[in-house]
Amino acid sequence: MSADGQFDSALDLLRRLPPSNTSANLTRICALAPDLTEELLSSVDQPLEVRRCKKTGRDYLLCDYNRDGDSWRSPWSNEFEPAIEGEEEGAKPSERVRKLEVGMGEAVDVYRELYYEGGVSSVYFWDLDDGFAGVVLLKKTTPTGKSEGGWDSIHVFESIDRARTSHYKLTSTVILRLSTGSDALGDMDLSGNMTRQIEQDMPVTDDSSHIVNVGKLVEDMELKMRNLLQEVYFGKAKDVVGDLRSIPPLTEANREKATHQEMINSMKR
Amino acid sequence: MASNNVSAISAFIEGAPPGELADVVNDIKTLTEDDSTLLEKARPAFQKYNEEQLTTVKLPGSGKNVLISPYNSLGDGRYYDVESRSSFAFDPITQKASDVQSHPLESEHTDLMTSLSKTLATHAHEHYPSSTHAVFPAPTSSLAVLLVSNKYSPSNFWNGRLRTSYLYHPATAALTGTLRCDVHYYEDGNVRLLTTKTLPPSTVAASAGEIMKTIAKVEKGWQEELNRGFSRLSEGEFKSLRRQLPVTRQKVEWEKVTSYRAGKEIGGGRR
Repeated sequence: MSADGQFDSALDLLRRLPPSNTSANLTRICALAPDLTEELLSSVDQPLEVRRCKKTGRDYLLCDYNRDGDSWRSPWSNEFEPAIEGEEEGAKPSERVRKLEVGMGEAVDVYRELYYEGGVSSVYFWDLDDGFAGVVLLKKTTPTGKSEGGWDSIHVFESIDRARTSHYKLTSTVILRLSTGSDALGDMDLSGNMTRQIEQDMPVTDDSSHIVNVGKLVEDMELKMRNLLQEVYFGKAKDVVGDLRSIPPLTEANREKATHQEMINSMKR
Repeated sequence: MASNNVSAISAFIEGAPPGELADVVNDIKTLTEDDSTLLEKARPAFQKYNEEQLTTVKLPGSGKNVLISPYNSLGDGRYYDVESRSSFAFDPITQKASDVQSHPLESEHTDLMTSLSKTLATHAHEHYPSSTHAVFPAPTSSLAVLLVSNKYSPSNFWNGRLRTSYLYHPATAALTGTLRCDVHYYEDGNVRLLTTKTLPPSTVAASAGEIMKTIAKVEKGWQEELNRGFSRLSEGEFKSLRRQLPVTRQKVEWEKVTSYRAGKEIGGGRR
């Protein structure tokens, strides 16, 4: 049995099992096939955890890209929390890329306030041989109540240097959890995640172009994905329920359809 | 360790979406490197899954669709069908039926059962484009009224199932039940709708017509409420999580929001 086959099966399984249990199922899969652990943890998106930066008091988001063992790097202080013990220092971006990271972080903060009107955002960049890469994270949850919701955006991108342009490759995942309930309805949980990719060449004059380019890519992608989520969650899912059970009696519905058809036919004559 | 693996596999089986058990089993096989003893050890989880999901199976010979439920289990992997007065073996892992034998019906409520089956069939015909349903004698001299409606469209990456399970107790005239809906959409993602509605216990006269009238009313009310639930989440939570456009109705001017080039601080980013 090839490891690739096992990895694909693990992803297929996680695509089928209830998205609200992804974390628990990921743990189970890693116990069954420990060799897959590292690869799975870096490729399966889970709802983001929030932590408060000890130095600046600002909230930041945890993901595999700012993690080193059991420590996470705060984008606000550029320091790992808790501090990494011993000689080794956690991986940090180069000075140039850190400067870009800070700039993108500030821009995304404005973006977050405009679109999310709250929530938490974090940006992590790292160096590549022929460019750089990064992740833009956004998270918002609604206050707990009868109806609840949570949104996590995870945008992972690469920017590869070309002459006067950069080649961007963006993979975006949105995890959207919604639930509501009442005596008449019972419990309703509508949760999941969707992933989309895009590749694009964009002009670059100096480093500030990257912030504009990545910002536009993320904004366009989120607009597209929000529309898609709306269609799947409130269109498709609702339609399937309607396919499973019809509120109006089917004989009546069929009769109406026949009458309608008759009308159309008579107009044709 | 091995028992942990069995409980992991059992959890995967329990979470299998409508019509996708075989896919989940294939994934488990690859992940466990075809350890068939593990699947065999998870047999109870398969049995529970099929009984809870009201799995439908075609009877060999007649080709009739019948239900798997806790109420028509005869033990040892055998189940029975009231209408065809037959019993059959059911493999919970492959979901195939075999070895059909005749099976006489034993119930103290045969008349009510028969009339309930008829009204249930009419009700199903009116509201479920494609469903499998049955009435079985249940513990404590009650009757189980079961229906499952499946629609699978794997080529379009979605599958759905709606299950209703009612218990009627003729001696006390008490009607209870649950209504569950499960929809899976998985094109470049994984979206799941899971709903559970538990009927408040009610008292209904021991007539098939009255029982089905109550059931029809409950189901209609639930489905209308579910549609309102979709609207509530769409207009409420979804909108308040992320706006479609900023209040200004304009996209972000990225050239302006970044202080990177000029090195100056801007107001909006700090809180």
